[in-house]
Amino acid sequence: MKFALPVILVVVLAVLMIVALTEAGSAHGTVGIAAGSATYGLTPKPSTPEQSLTDLLVEAQRRNWDQALSFVSNVSASSDKDSFIQDWTGSHGSLRSFSNLESFELRPLHVTNDEAQMRVHLRWTTPVGPIDDVRDFHLARKGDIWKTVWPKRQEPSVPAQVIPVTYLRWDLVSGGADDEWGSKNVDTPHVRIVSMNAVDTAEGAVVMGEVVNEDTIPAFVNVNATLLDGSGSAIDDESSFDKIAHILLPKQVTAYRIDFPAFHLKNVKNVHMDVKATLVPASADPVIGVMNQKIDPDVQGKSVLRGELFNQSGQTVNIPHIVASFYDNNGQVVWVADGYVEQALLPQTSALFSVEFPKTLAAKVQNFHVVVNQYSPGRS
Amino acid sequence: MNRIATILVMIGWFLVSQSYSKSADDLAQVQLDSKKAGPRAVENLTERAIVRDYRSAWTSLSHALEFNVFDPIEGPFAGNAKQMLKGTIARQQESGLRQRFLDQNHKLEVVFYAPEGDVVELHDTAEYQQQILDGGKPIHDERVVLHYIVLMTPSADRWVIRQLQAVPQF
Amino acid sequence: MRPWLICAAVCLAEACGAQNVEVRVSFPVVAGNGATVSTSGSGKAIFYLVGPGVSSKNEIKLGEEIQLRTRDTQNAGAYQAIVCSERCASATFYVSAANPASLTFLVHPSRVPVSQNDAVSGVAFPFDQFHNFILTPLSIEFRLTAGSAALMTQAVRTRAGVAWFRTTSGKSAGALRVVAALDNLSAQRVVQQVAADPCNLRIAGQRNRSGILVQTEPVRDCAGNPVPDGTIVTFTAADANGKSTVDAPIKQGVARVEIAASGGASISVASGVVMGNEIHIGAQP
Repeated sequence: MKFALPVILVVVLAVLMIVALTEAGSAHGTVGIAAGSATYGLTPKPSTPEQSLTDLLVEAQRRNWDQALSFVSNVSASSDKDSFIQDWTGSHGSLRSFSNLESFELRPLHVTNDEAQMRVHLRWTTPVGPIDDVRDFHLARKGDIWKTVWPKRQEPSVPAQVIPVTYLRWDLVSGGADDEWGSKNVDTPHVRIVSMNAVDTAEGAVVMGEVVNEDTIPAFVNVNATLLDGSGSAIDDESSFDKIAHILLPKQVTAYRIDFPAFHLKNVKNVHMDVKATLVPASADPVIGVMNQKIDPDVQGKSVLRGELFNQSGQTVNIPHIVASFYDNNGQVVWVADGYVEQALLPQTSALFSVEFPKTLAAKVQNFHVVVNQYSPGRS
Repeated sequence: MNRIATILVMIGWFLVSQSYSKSADDLAQVQLDSKKAGPRAVENLTERAIVRDYRSAWTSLSHALEFNVFDPIEGPFAGNAKQMLKGTIARQQESGLRQRFLDQNHKLEVVFYAPEGDVVELHDTAEYQQQILDGGKPIHDERVVLHYIVLMTPSADRWVIRQLQAVPQF
Repeated sequence: MRPWLICAAVCLAEACGAQNVEVRVSFPVVAGNGATVSTSGSGKAIFYLVGPGVSSKNEIKLGEEIQLRTRDTQNAGAYQAIVCSERCASATFYVSAANPASLTFLVHPSRVPVSQNDAVSGVAFPFDQFHNFILTPLSIEFRLTAGSAALMTQAVRTRAGVAWFRTTSGKSAGALRVVAALDNLSAQRVVQQVAADPCNLRIAGQRNRSGILVQTEPVRDCAGNPVPDGTIVTFTAADANGKSTVDAPIKQGVARVEIAASGGASISVASGVVMGNEIHIGAQP
């Protein structure tokens, strides 16, 4: 009896070791290990486009820039190295600056003796969750070695200028702890849910709609929903989390989406909505225009809404966040999608964005609306 | 054998502590009548919250005045009521007196509920066994019925008592 | 103010040769006025006073009067005066609130759109100088003024210590002063009356070198009050390149944007849930 615990511990340890050893071979999704290449450093020179691009991506993942540059044909250590690095690591406090390349998968699109086109699916870990990116790379053979032809990125050139800031700003004064009862009365902002639509999807139930700030001051808004069964008991409650533009200026409208994974509407008799608004300091600057919005399929055939964000102000927007609502021909919200732009928006410059929505809804969507949220550290 | 005995002791301690903490909650029975509330009608959820928080406040008050500690009254009380209770506890600490409020029964009636729902006035007909002790020696033990005027306001997560004032009659 | 008529005289001594000690308290006892406790019997005893904010213990001589200080009776409520020699005897007495010295005044909301029915309400509670709640009926006057115009004056008698009012917000944006007055006491609060939803939202546009400059007419509500600066107006332009939207805040009464579009475009405007007109601008010549 007294040996039972030690025996159990030894058995568990042995099982865990066996699991670890058997899983070591399939390095799919493991940080720093490219698929099929667990023993990098001992491999021969990149004689295939797949090998060359894999080597480049592994070195970029490890941030060994000099090694990575050796797999690129048109960028040398002396020229454009900073631009190459910035392309990977981001700049100006963008979302990319806080991200790491977790894993990648590549497949050839078109390969000849001397040239190849490869499509790479990059998976980034970021503070806002995983972000998938698809990029096409062009490779060329020089002698018996394949190298990537790096697409030169045009850095937006922002001329020096003075841009006056004349937009309104709201500050919040909390009042002292000793204020007499009734004297420090500032009501929370008045916000209202203007629409709600509950649908079933393959991943679970989704509640979405729009909310408006009806007040004359900014509001920090969150929308919660509770699914109720026939007896009025709560089945589950969830929040909009980041599928909403949290800071709403006066009369601003945002879409929201609340996901209930693994729950379906067949058991739901009612949905209780609750919108919470709190006072928050805010500024009407920066103004970001959403230009040239269009729906079309991306390179993988997915339905996306794409466009361009234009920063009309004089300050950098570090992390732009897009919340897009899609409407049918009755004006009802049929889907809400959100996405982040990984590069910072410099003053008076633009950046492309795209948000995906379910292909099954593509035929239903007649209209859409995009709201831009933005996060800039140290600024309200 | 030792292990079994240890487990039994732990279970026994758990059950005793549960029953002890339960008895602290059972100390205050609270009923609420909001038929005469006005100008605003009291919502069902608000009624339940007021009953829950009033019971919790009196449980905390009893604990604070029995053991002469300030912490229990920090959350459930605000404004004048908190100041008054703090004064009572401080004076009790100086004098060595303690009070016990046993077997409490509170019948609450809502007499005013503000249009914006930010304040409620209640009349509490409170019946309890009041004991006053000097050190450990009881100097007063009486079953009393007192009438309290209570003002409560909503705070971040509960209703708090702002005014708790005994009157000879309503 | 009617005097409180409570004085409980209690005799708790058992017959065992112990002397019968009686405790009596003078009445009425008003907060801050002190009180006198009289005892019967002889010899030494301990006097306890327990009440709201009070807990004291002193040695006394039976038969002598005990003067309660003003500090001991400043909180309104129920008190126990207990005298213990061989046995303990007690008396319960109540302290009532003194004259009004302050008003607690709650007014809602802090911001209100103009011309809304029953939108502004206020509740007033009178207290004495020791923060005791005064329950005797008092007449409190509520006055609402916007600028120099008096919107409402109403006298309300307190019931259970509370007086309240409810009224419609004024027609003009600006500060609404709300005063509760009791004799020479008063408490003032300010409610900000703000413009209601935009009304007749109209835009005009013209082409310039960089695109189309679109501007609203001065944005006002249906009563003519200017909608506050910072309110968001959404401009939407549809052209051959797709749809463009800009959420622009009102500045000095108008909202304006410049939309880059070389071809013809249809431009519409909205603010909150209010839609404005739509204009069509032709292509660049």
